Amino acid sequence: MAKHDCYHCGLPIAGSDDGKFTTVILGQQRDMCCPGCLAVAEAIVTNGLEDYYQFRTEPAQKSDDGILETLDKLKVYDDPSLQEEFVFEEGQDKQIQLTLEGITCAACGWLIEKQLSKVEGIKQVAVNVQERRALVTWSPFQIKLSQILSTLKRIGYVGSPFHPDEHEASYKREQKTFLKKLGLAGIMTMQVMMLMTGLYFDWFGAIELETRQYFYWVALTLTTPVVLYSGSTFYVGAANALSARTVNMDVPVTLAIFGTYIAGIRSTVLEQGEVYFESICMFIFLLLLSRFLEHRSRHRAAQISANMMQYVPVSATKLLPDGSLTECLAKQLRIDDVVLVKPGETIPIDGVVIEGNAAVDESMLTGEFNSVRKSNNSTVYGGTVCQDGSLTIKVTQTLKNALVNQIVRLQASAMANKPKAAQIADNFSRYFVTAVLLISALTYGFWAYQGSDDAFWITISVLVATCPCALGLATPSALTCAMAKLNKQGILLKRADALEQITDIDTIALDKTGTLTQGKFTISNAWYADDVDSDSALSIARALESRSEHPIAKAFSEGIAFSDGVALSESSASSGSTDAIDSTVHKVTNFTVTPGGGISGEINDTLFSMGSAAFSVHESQLKLIEAFPSANVFLTVKGRIMAAYEVKDSLREDTQETLDILAASHTLAVLSGDTQQNVDALTAPLPISTAKGGLTPEQKYEAVQAMQQSGAKVMMMGDGINDAPVLASADVAIAVGNATDVAKTAADVILLGDQLLSVPELIRTAHQVKQKIRQNIGWSVGYNVLILPFAVSGLLSPWMAVVGMSLSSIIVVTNSTRLLSK
Amino acid sequence: MSIIYVLIPIAIIIVAVAIVIFFWAVKTNQFEDLDRQGYSILFDDDLPPEEKKLAEQRKQLQESKVDKSQTPHGRD
Repeated sequence: MAKHDCYHCGLPIAGSDDGKFTTVILGQQRDMCCPGCLAVAEAIVTNGLEDYYQFRTEPAQKSDDGILETLDKLKVYDDPSLQEEFVFEEGQDKQIQLTLEGITCAACGWLIEKQLSKVEGIKQVAVNVQERRALVTWSPFQIKLSQILSTLKRIGYVGSPFHPDEHEASYKREQKTFLKKLGLAGIMTMQVMMLMTGLYFDWFGAIELETRQYFYWVALTLTTPVVLYSGSTFYVGAANALSARTVNMDVPVTLAIFGTYIAGIRSTVLEQGEVYFESICMFIFLLLLSRFLEHRSRHRAAQISANMMQYVPVSATKLLPDGSLTECLAKQLRIDDVVLVKPGETIPIDGVVIEGNAAVDESMLTGEFNSVRKSNNSTVYGGTVCQDGSLTIKVTQTLKNALVNQIVRLQASAMANKPKAAQIADNFSRYFVTAVLLISALTYGFWAYQGSDDAFWITISVLVATCPCALGLATPSALTCAMAKLNKQGILLKRADALEQITDIDTIALDKTGTLTQGKFTISNAWYADDVDSDSALSIARALESRSEHPIAKAFSEGIAFSDGVALSESSASSGSTDAIDSTVHKVTNFTVTPGGGISGEINDTLFSMGSAAFSVHESQLKLIEAFPSANVFLTVKGRIMAAYEVKDSLREDTQETLDILAASHTLAVLSGDTQQNVDALTAPLPISTAKGGLTPEQKYEAVQAMQQSGAKVMMMGDGINDAPVLASADVAIAVGNATDVAKTAADVILLGDQLLSVPELIRTAHQVKQKIRQNIGWSVGYNVLILPFAVSGLLSPWMAVVGMSLSSIIVVTNSTRLLSK
Repeated sequence: MSIIYVLIPIAIIIVAVAIVIFFWAVKTNQFEDLDRQGYSILFDDDLPPEEKKLAEQRKQLQESKVDKSQTPHGRD
């Protein structure tokens, strides 16, 4: 059967799942890749929202398999003490801002609005596709917040309550002001230009003096709001700079605007002399445009990082002294409270185990997903996941002091120490402005001394001609274009100037688990006993492991996609026929788990064991194991080996290729929380110069700081909570693939796709941008220097200066947009 | 030419109205999300159910026509 992609999310369908999940959409039978996508697609169809599939421009995001199980957990959001922070009262109704995960194109916005507006009790829904947010108003008497969130989840979107920070609110206000000022300046420029063109083309003097005067007055009326309102940005900037006893670009701009404006008024009132109202308007409009572009790219970056700051509350089951259980929020727990954690639940808080025995997945803290066994008196940390068995925990820290939050605080302090992007442009502009002011003053002095009537206008020409409008556009326009291009490739920049820093990077530090590797166990090698059919052995293994919660078990459930090139050695079976396995689903009875050892169960009255060699293999057979030393999971029947599997976290498919490209121009280093032995084994075939293992989050952070102190510019790539501090301290930080929220917050660049190959692409684009910025700066400075003699010598009238400046700006912007098409 | 003494003030008034509308649009977040609203026109969910059915039938009819007209070329 031909391999094809999931109709819902566009990802390839695993061979074994082909044809398993189908439904009718838009009159045709469509295949899906997983039950999650199927559930979402069916929900969309049954709600009559099929049109979504017709008009979407991007495939949907893959929905997680556990979609229906997690619906229960949303109940936490109904807690009134939690809602206090996010929910606003709107008279009788309540209102909340949600960030939405899973929005891929504009059709998603329609889908969400339609779906929610059908729900009774929801008063208003407004989805913003660009920001990936929704504003929902609902009546608390008819529906609960958790129900709204679960409705969203059913059609494949994860909504989380969200509180825009002050920073962002002020960005947004400024954005609107900019838009108003820009719009006003634009409309007025058109009007004034229209009037003035009439006068320019009056070559035969047909316009009467009276009409001309009338035009001047009209132009003055139209220009005044532009000067007073639109231009105010520059006057405030100039005033701020002067009060700080320095100069910036705004100072000559302000001088030129007011000089021209006041002179214009004078000419109009006295009915003699020149007016340049159209030049003022255009000047202000173009300058504002460059500021607006710059502001917008910053605003966008701030918004992306704010979306990352999702607050996911953790609930806990508290065990009261009288033996009864009650649900509460983790932040309400006090020291010495006793908490019960069931298998599969997240441990809400730091504490000590007082009863129970369980394997705990601490990957979010250490980055390593080999689970850790906890029993009496072991310390457990909030945020980690209890995998099997239940634990009774005595709380030792309040949530505020929990380890996770300590790491987050370390990250915050690391962020403060982050090397700043060199503000060369700022320094440059200070000298530039001083020079401009000086030259203008000298020009005025010279022409006034010569007794010329035009001294004033020549000076204005100098101010306008040298105004580095194009220079101001050079960097932001290039960065904005590059960001838009990278965005399309699934590379999200939170900070535009990170692009400039990327070109200086000489060292790349990498996390191992989840960054270089896939971050999950896969079967990388398998051996079968001579008399055993590989398919039937594997189907037994799958049946057994499907009952287990251990992370290794997942390797067996995910089809049997071996890493490429691995032959099923020592067995005669062909590897292709996966359908045979699906048809023989074994029923497992008497299933038992031996913590730290393995699992066993009966299939057709035969007892099978699976696990480590010590657990499942009979002593007499231990010799056989030596034949395949790297195997770590054994399937046995009565102690006799049927099959052996090497289950490990293998490299991503594109790791080798990516590192080969990167190693050509950078020094590569691996910083891992895993043991040195594992790190060495994995990195041996890779072009990596140093590999350090066994590092705590703090040591990782220190390692990068040490590199920075020795003069290296470090780019860090990571994904876990344990990488957050080191990401925050690196010159440029990249959060890879399915990174944790904390890591994303700390990073400057987020890779949305699961491909490492985006990194060389990012570096390539960064170099292109640098080149573009150089070209732009070269052009605009060159133009200014070239035009200066003409302005100083009085050959250039103010309107020519403005036209020249506009042309120069257009050239710069056009040059930048060429980045988009590359 | 004296007509311009009337026309230009009228133009200014129209421009003023345009600016007021523009400011209102900015204030009421009309420029917040430029991707989303352009799509609304593609979905005919504002039609009552009967009309939607009719529209679908019409669409199918059209498609079958297109198919038929294409088949001769397909056989070439």
